[in-house]
Amino acid sequence: MPDGLDRRRFLKVLGVGGAGTAALAGCSSDQVEKLIPYLIPPTDQIPGLATYYASTCRECPAGCGTHVRVREGRAVKIEGNPGHPVNQGRLCARGQAALQGLYNPDRVRSPMARDGDGQLSPIAWDEAIDRLTERLGQVSGGALWFVTGNESGSFARLVSDWMSGLRSTQHVVFEPFGYEALRQANRDVFGIDAIPQYDFAAAHTVMSFGTDFLETWLSPVEHARGFSEGHAFHDGRMGRYVHVEPRMSMTAMSADEWIAPVPGTEALLALAMAHVIVRDGLAVAPRDIRRLSGLLDAHAPDSVAQRTGVAVGTIDRIAGEFAAESSVAVAGGMGGQHAEAHATAVAVNLLNYVAGNIGRTISFGRALNATGGSTYGAARRLADAMRAGEVEVLLVHGANPAYATPPGLGFEQAMGNVGLKVSFSRFLDETAMQADLILPDHDPLEQWNDYEPRASVYSLMQPVMRPVFDTRQTGDVLLQIAQRLGGRVGSRFTVETYRDYLQQQWQALQRRLGDRRPFDMFWSEVLQQGGVSDDGGAERQVRLAPTVGATRDVPTWSPADGQLTLIAYPSSALYDGRGANRPWLQELPDPVTTITWSTWVEIHPETAAELGIAEGDHVEVTSPVGSVTVPAYVYAGLRRDVVAMPLGQGHTAFGRYAEGRGANPLTLLSSEPTAFGGLAHYTSVTLRKTGQHERLPKTEGSKRQMGRGIAQAATLEELTHPGESHEEHAAHAAPVPQHIEDVLHEWQEAQYRETERGNYALPYTGTVDGERPRWAMAIDLSKCTGCGACVTACHAENNIPTVGPDLVRRGREMSWLRIERYFEGGRGDEPLEARFLPMMCQHCGNAPCEPVCPVFAAYHTADGLNAQVYNRCVGTRYCSNNCPYKVRYFNWFDFQEEADAAFAFPDPLHWQLNPDVTVRSKGVMEKCTFCVQRIRDAQNQAKLSGTTIGDGDLMTACQQTCPADAIVFGDVKNPDAQVRGLAEDDRGYHVLEDLNVRPAVTYLKKVRNAAEA
Amino acid sequence: MATIAKPEAPRAPPTYAEITRDISATLGNPSRGYYILLGGVLLVLACGVGALLYQVRVGMGVAGYTPPVMWGVYITTFVFWVGIAHCGTLISAILYLFRSAWRTAVYRTAEAMTVFAVMTAGLFPLIHVGRIWYAYWLIPYPNQRQLWVNFKSPLLWDVFAVTTYLIVSTTFLIVGLIPDVASVRDVATGWRKKLYRITALGWRGTDQQWRHYLRGYLYLAAFATPLVLSVHSVVSWDFAMSIVPGWHTTIFAPYFVAGAIYSGLAMVITLLVPLRKVFRVERYITVEHFDNLAKLILLTGLIVGYAYLIEFFMAWYSGNAFERASFWNRAFGDYWWASWTMLICNGFLPYLLFFPKIRRNIPALFLLSLFINLGMWFERFVIIVVSLSFEYEPFAMGHYTPSWVEWTILAGSFAWFFMWFLLFAKNFPTVSITEVKEIIPMPRKGKAHT
Repeated sequence: MPDGLDRRRFLKVLGVGGAGTAALAGCSSDQVEKLIPYLIPPTDQIPGLATYYASTCRECPAGCGTHVRVREGRAVKIEGNPGHPVNQGRLCARGQAALQGLYNPDRVRSPMARDGDGQLSPIAWDEAIDRLTERLGQVSGGALWFVTGNESGSFARLVSDWMSGLRSTQHVVFEPFGYEALRQANRDVFGIDAIPQYDFAAAHTVMSFGTDFLETWLSPVEHARGFSEGHAFHDGRMGRYVHVEPRMSMTAMSADEWIAPVPGTEALLALAMAHVIVRDGLAVAPRDIRRLSGLLDAHAPDSVAQRTGVAVGTIDRIAGEFAAESSVAVAGGMGGQHAEAHATAVAVNLLNYVAGNIGRTISFGRALNATGGSTYGAARRLADAMRAGEVEVLLVHGANPAYATPPGLGFEQAMGNVGLKVSFSRFLDETAMQADLILPDHDPLEQWNDYEPRASVYSLMQPVMRPVFDTRQTGDVLLQIAQRLGGRVGSRFTVETYRDYLQQQWQALQRRLGDRRPFDMFWSEVLQQGGVSDDGGAERQVRLAPTVGATRDVPTWSPADGQLTLIAYPSSALYDGRGANRPWLQELPDPVTTITWSTWVEIHPETAAELGIAEGDHVEVTSPVGSVTVPAYVYAGLRRDVVAMPLGQGHTAFGRYAEGRGANPLTLLSSEPTAFGGLAHYTSVTLRKTGQHERLPKTEGSKRQMGRGIAQAATLEELTHPGESHEEHAAHAAPVPQHIEDVLHEWQEAQYRETERGNYALPYTGTVDGERPRWAMAIDLSKCTGCGACVTACHAENNIPTVGPDLVRRGREMSWLRIERYFEGGRGDEPLEARFLPMMCQHCGNAPCEPVCPVFAAYHTADGLNAQVYNRCVGTRYCSNNCPYKVRYFNWFDFQEEADAAFAFPDPLHWQLNPDVTVRSKGVMEKCTFCVQRIRDAQNQAKLSGTTIGDGDLMTACQQTCPADAIVFGDVKNPDAQVRGLAEDDRGYHVLEDLNVRPAVTYLKKVRNAAEA
Repeated sequence: MATIAKPEAPRAPPTYAEITRDISATLGNPSRGYYILLGGVLLVLACGVGALLYQVRVGMGVAGYTPPVMWGVYITTFVFWVGIAHCGTLISAILYLFRSAWRTAVYRTAEAMTVFAVMTAGLFPLIHVGRIWYAYWLIPYPNQRQLWVNFKSPLLWDVFAVTTYLIVSTTFLIVGLIPDVASVRDVATGWRKKLYRITALGWRGTDQQWRHYLRGYLYLAAFATPLVLSVHSVVSWDFAMSIVPGWHTTIFAPYFVAGAIYSGLAMVITLLVPLRKVFRVERYITVEHFDNLAKLILLTGLIVGYAYLIEFFMAWYSGNAFERASFWNRAFGDYWWASWTMLICNGFLPYLLFFPKIRRNIPALFLLSLFINLGMWFERFVIIVVSLSFEYEPFAMGHYTPSWVEWTILAGSFAWFFMWFLLFAKNFPTVSITEVKEIIPMPRKGKAHT
């Protein structure tokens, strides 16, 4: 058989071919995955099942309680802790993005020190600690300075013990948002050095004087929940909210009335209101207000109307409203902190006092630990001391003063005079870049710690997973140093680890709380709960301080002649800049401008027209101390004489997501502390067009809804006195003829039958036995504040990639859920009104996306969802063209492929991915699924236990996190479901209802409590 | 039509022998100019292929798509080429059935253009999909996963319409070529002789063969005729079946068919003018022919212009705010320049053809045909891009600008088309030898055959 194929040869060929195939298969995978099963599985880790650990959010001083979802030993999502008194289960965007702090690819991965070339290079922990210990052994106490962020729990005590062990008193707390004006005012007016808790839920009337209480101020999640409860429309009643600020912030967009006074004169307005209340006897006030008579007499409405630019009638009216029912007035937001902001805070304190709000809606008994006593003035003293060469060793933990102070202060340069600069930072931020030694701390999710958000609330943190990198908890490092140093400092600590130190503190707390159980029982209970609170404390009696009313002169702030006022306001996503290295936060559109990943300057349309500036034109903003060049955003929500810029960008270090983006408006601010010790966020500026232009990385298309009734609203008057609606819509839903109804019904039934043929479908697993569920959502626009927490929740739950500014410019953001912001009015004398509308897939019953897909990638499930089969999608994109809501998102690039430029999950950021959700590849369409993985999980659980799903058992990620409780999800077939009731609410409507696509999302009209004219 | 049937002949009409000689001469050895042209075309094609590979590798994002504009230059160009393809069948089949004798000189070019245009058009849905490697999923074929296609989707109708059209028009072209190929077979040498021998299918010109051939050709013409109307109607339903304002209208099918023929006729002129010059076949493709083509352009142009007006009228008359806004945006929005290019090129310029002087002025006609080609490309651009950029949801409106990748692939598509056309023109008679012979007077005695 010379030519043919004999058996031996056949086998040979087969073998070689097989090996070749195997080799090829080996090549096709980028990396060899090693799957090693648990030999001895950990007791709390069951593959495929999530474990939740209670912790505390440390992204801002609010200290919300969190539940961290852990799958197979990795934290995959952070959610609110429903039992926590601060946030009650909700969490803002920043809190959720803490996960990207944990998995940030730019974390410091091991201790680092300057080598011979002056470069930071990795060293071993022992060596690092030795270096520091050695130096500390030589330094005299006065030359040792320790800068920390706001710490209110055991760590603060440890630091202070440790420092006094080293005979140093130089512990500086640096919190860029120090609310110095507010604290000074509380000291001056009430003699209390504290920030009270504000109860928005109990207040019918809210007045904000330049305070963004729904964005960054003190405790925004708590405020949003309270505000939603106190203000939103229900049962024919709602609160009233008046916002006083030269700029319409996101918070102001929820206001029923926005008053834009002359910048710097808010104090006069508040005093005039107090004047009216006292003059007309509108409220029962404590007797000691008599001391105010001189001050108030000097501020009658007609005497301030001119200076504030607010009409006498308006002042009388809002004063009347303020005193008529329970109310709260807030001041002291960083966006309103000008050089005379102290006067504003004093005036607002007095306004609250005369209206009798202290002790009712304002509680000094539950004082907040918002700042840790930080002042900008202290940072300045440190800078001066460094410059004078008085600092030998500088330790920095949890603060980034080199970025968050105006460059005029020269903090970074002054650090050059320090002998040894040690940073405990997790990131190479601007301050850490100056350090000689970096001893990276654990992420808050990796450490044992605690925090007291406010008096009597004790909140715990526990490691939810093994540390991602070779980091060490700073508490442990300090204790090790104390042990190595021995002597005075060593003898102060009887414990070896910070965990033991923490437990010591909690043993003491347990005794204080009067809990007599064994500590282990108490400890495991508080760990599970995430902490303990003792809110029943007696309310603190508050009286006016003796010096109040001594002077009648109220200082106001005004810009230099002919110049514009610049407001440098806190970014609701990036906070003071610490969020800038989280891609979720960078890509979260600013609620006001919808801009992502950059800095801009907001300019009033008329001012812009005068200067010939159009949106996207680069503008040089020059203040007396500096200048920056940023693109312009033309915004009608400003006074003509005001421009505004957000803080948070302009990093020169801090990792790939933060570095070199936008500009830092602190460059424009004076480094001189104000009289109250804070940093003034207002300054005079001039603008100059540079001639450069860019397309802004923003998500909005049109600012206005063109009368299409997308985001609808009504006034309280219209709802309580039904009649002709004033809202004009482009088209009304025409009645649908019966034969079309029949066809639609038949078509839907046919689809159900089709999908139920597959054994994967779960027929009849809804909230009502035997009934096929129809998942639906209701969104109350009168509650939505536009904060964007839902957007980040959606990113986290559904593995949505961030795409970066260049793709946002081309409208290619992938966010399945977007907050649409529309403006109404604002022309001529009409007041400007903003409306928010969260828009996601509407899961239409008669969905236009489904019939046009040639391959059935878009189809209807038996429980009424519009499913999208990623595997089947070919990418014709017809579904998106035919979607009137434009909620389908296409994978233009491979965001999951490491080799690709658009790669969104650089190691270890991919650890954040939710294992329950597919990561999509390029060329396929994706969209909101109503968190189908959660639905299927609940259905499976229900099937296993032979029950139905209870209403409210099943929450979508957006609903779960919404601080304002605006989103309700459930089975609309269930007569008892909350969503059913809302779907039939009088305020309910469907967006673009006349297209007859039968959306599953019902929006409830926003309600405005318009002023009685 | 009888007067038109006689080619204008300053001299005596050509004889059969002259026809065979003249037209076969076009197949002579290519000049250097031809190779340079072909080389240039291949270079552009290579750039287009390179851009496509880059797009497949990196993702659709390298194109300029800006949501909500999910269809852009590719679908525009797809519709453009499908439109071009329509004129060939019109001239070869419909005019054949109507016994319009003047078609004989131009139909081969038109038919070849049709086939190559469909071949070009068919590439674009592939170029446009996100996962080109799974594009075959649009074909209903039995598979072990029991997956099936959605016959409700107009895109699927498209798959059938375009493939049917490709098959029928190719068949038509090949069948029409048989007697001519046989003629050149007899004079050809080398590999081309082999090629012609195969494509001539054993044609010997017997009476019986002629009888079958003519009958078969007639049936094919009858079969192809409805396709002229149906294929582009189906393409128009890609748009009309959707709910996009500016797309969702019943006028689309006739409007698209008229537009398709209109653009196809313009393309025929664009091709014929240089062709007759280069191949020196002015004796066969005469001013009369151009005059006739121009009249057809005028007719279809009037229909297209009417459709434009009706679209605007209906947008207003419907009272539908979305339609009104969409059309207002079309005329005065960000893309006003595209819309006015379309309106001027297609709606106003063809009226110049009312003047016989212009109809019979070949340079003017050539220039006009270029404008119409441009206008018709912009018509599709306006319908697709401008409508999508201004839909229902104001917050999601966006502005699309094509990227270099799209322009390169667009240029590549022209190169692909011209490559086929150049190869065809040098290898097959671009003027039908047989049919031109049919319409000249019977030969005088003694000069019948040479």
